[in-house]
Amino acid sequence: MKTILVADDDKNLRRLYKAELEAEGYRIMLAENGLQATDIIERENPDVVVMDIRMPEVDGLEAMAKILKKNRRVPIILNSAYSYFQDDFLTWAADAYIMKSADLQPLKEKIREILCSSATTSAAV
Amino acid sequence: MNIPDSAQSFFSTASLERRIAELTILYEVSCALQKTLDEEKALNTILAGVTAGRGLGFNRAFILLVDSKEEWLEGRLAMGPSSPEEASRMWRELRTKHQTLRELLRSLNESGIRKDLRVNEIISKFRISLADSQNSLIKIMRSREASLAGEDCFLPQNLPMDLSLSQLLGINDFAVAPLYLAERDLGLLIADNAITQNPIDIRNLRLLQIYAQEASTAIQNTRFCSELKEKIELLQSANQAIHESQEQLLRAERLSTIGRMSALLAHQIRTPLVSIGGFARRLMREISPDDPRREEMEVIYSEVGHLERLVGEVLGYSKSSDAERKSVNANALVRSIAASMKEEIDKRSIRAVMNLCPEIPDIEVNELQLRQALMNLIANAIDAMPSGGTLTFDTIADKNYIEIGVSDTGMGIKQEYWNKLFTPFFTTKEGGTGLGLAIVSQVVDNHNGSLRFESIPGQGTAFYIRLAVHPDKKSAAHLSPNI
Repeated sequence: MKTILVADDDKNLRRLYKAELEAEGYRIMLAENGLQATDIIERENPDVVVMDIRMPEVDGLEAMAKILKKNRRVPIILNSAYSYFQDDFLTWAADAYIMKSADLQPLKEKIREILCSSATTSAAV
Repeated sequence: MNIPDSAQSFFSTASLERRIAELTILYEVSCALQKTLDEEKALNTILAGVTAGRGLGFNRAFILLVDSKEEWLEGRLAMGPSSPEEASRMWRELRTKHQTLRELLRSLNESGIRKDLRVNEIISKFRISLADSQNSLIKIMRSREASLAGEDCFLPQNLPMDLSLSQLLGINDFAVAPLYLAERDLGLLIADNAITQNPIDIRNLRLLQIYAQEASTAIQNTRFCSELKEKIELLQSANQAIHESQEQLLRAERLSTIGRMSALLAHQIRTPLVSIGGFARRLMREISPDDPRREEMEVIYSEVGHLERLVGEVLGYSKSSDAERKSVNANALVRSIAASMKEEIDKRSIRAVMNLCPEIPDIEVNELQLRQALMNLIANAIDAMPSGGTLTFDTIADKNYIEIGVSDTGMGIKQEYWNKLFTPFFTTKEGGTGLGLAIVSQVVDNHNGSLRFESIPGQGTAFYIRLAVHPDKKSAAHLSPNI
């Protein structure tokens, strides 16, 4: 079973994402901020990270930079209510940038796509 | 003490009294003139001083002035009766009303300036070109000496009398005094005794000349004043304009604050909308299709969708990145970036060489991004040459593509790093961010361009960015080391 880490400071969104993604057949782990997210990634090695950007303590972009600097190959989907972060060169380092929406279909598709491509890569190796 | 006869007569009581009277006239008129800064009122006062019985005592007076463009000498204002009957009526009236010159001058401009007089009809006919240097009146004005007109000439200048002039005035004998100040000829003051036919003697003429000098100062003052007034008005309107643009700026600032507030609000709304819509959709799926509550859930979900679109429009987040593209000349861009980094280049004793293709087509790009990408390449090149070297900029072009090259004669890149070069956060530099080449690669990608590099350890590295001239004809983006 593939594991997905959802990092978001909004309690309701964590609950929604958990319910919706579990329904897709994934194991879900939750983080409330960037600090928790980096810890969980270190410990649990999830297959995909869905990362909010604006979070207290350590924000999503900082957390992503930390993870990438440690040379951890974990696919990261930035998921934000703010569009203007896309102008930040740092966001380009992410595997995808998906705007938050009540329609979770684009996010679910992106997760499937990433898992699918990493499956082929690992198969090839 | 032996005083000569002439001096004796000069100091005689009658002579002294006359001089005192003359000085009094000048004093009174000068006082009255000081009270007005309006040119026409000043002219009226000057004329009154010339024609008042207690003033210079001429029957009529005329003022001619040089126009503002200094092209014409034109009649401006005149004063005096047109017939003996009118004269005796006017003078009687004046005598009963005003005891002194001061009283007359004080009340003069209260009743307004009379322009219906016959003399003003005469004055309006005076218009002499200043270019007419043979004209006797122009010559008198320029001589700056008062003149007495007789039957056939002006004295003492001995200039010929213009018959049309004596016909216009209706008299042969009149006095002319130039109005002037410093370098500037202002005009002429003409006075006559057309009603009483009293002769004008040399003393009257001399007094008129002195009087004209006083008048000149007054006229010039009013002109300075009106020029000043015009300038003040100009300043005031400029000030007004500044004030208005300041207000506009404030309004714009307020609007932009409102804009920022609504953007903030829109962002804040977005997150709860995701929860509302997301849960509504979940519930919707759990309710059976014939349950009427399902339709209600659908309303919630579709309305959330509507709100999300609305918020998105407010934030304009769906804007295309193409909107920020503009036409850019690659040579100009390279030169400008090189110039902006000149200090760093010079500091390392690096020689910069430009091999720019002279005829290069413009490219449609996001200038900010491409600039950032080139700056990153240049920064890497500089870092690769800590003890100097050559930094070369190339541009080449054909009909469809342009290529920008940045190459150095530095240490080169070890082959083992080649496949990690564009990975974010990969760096070989102490304190490097590892984002430089990742950004270059992303920028090239955003423009559907291609990026290649050549590197020989110990000899140097070159990076080439290739972009389509017409971006709609997409070229496949690829990253490939070209060995």
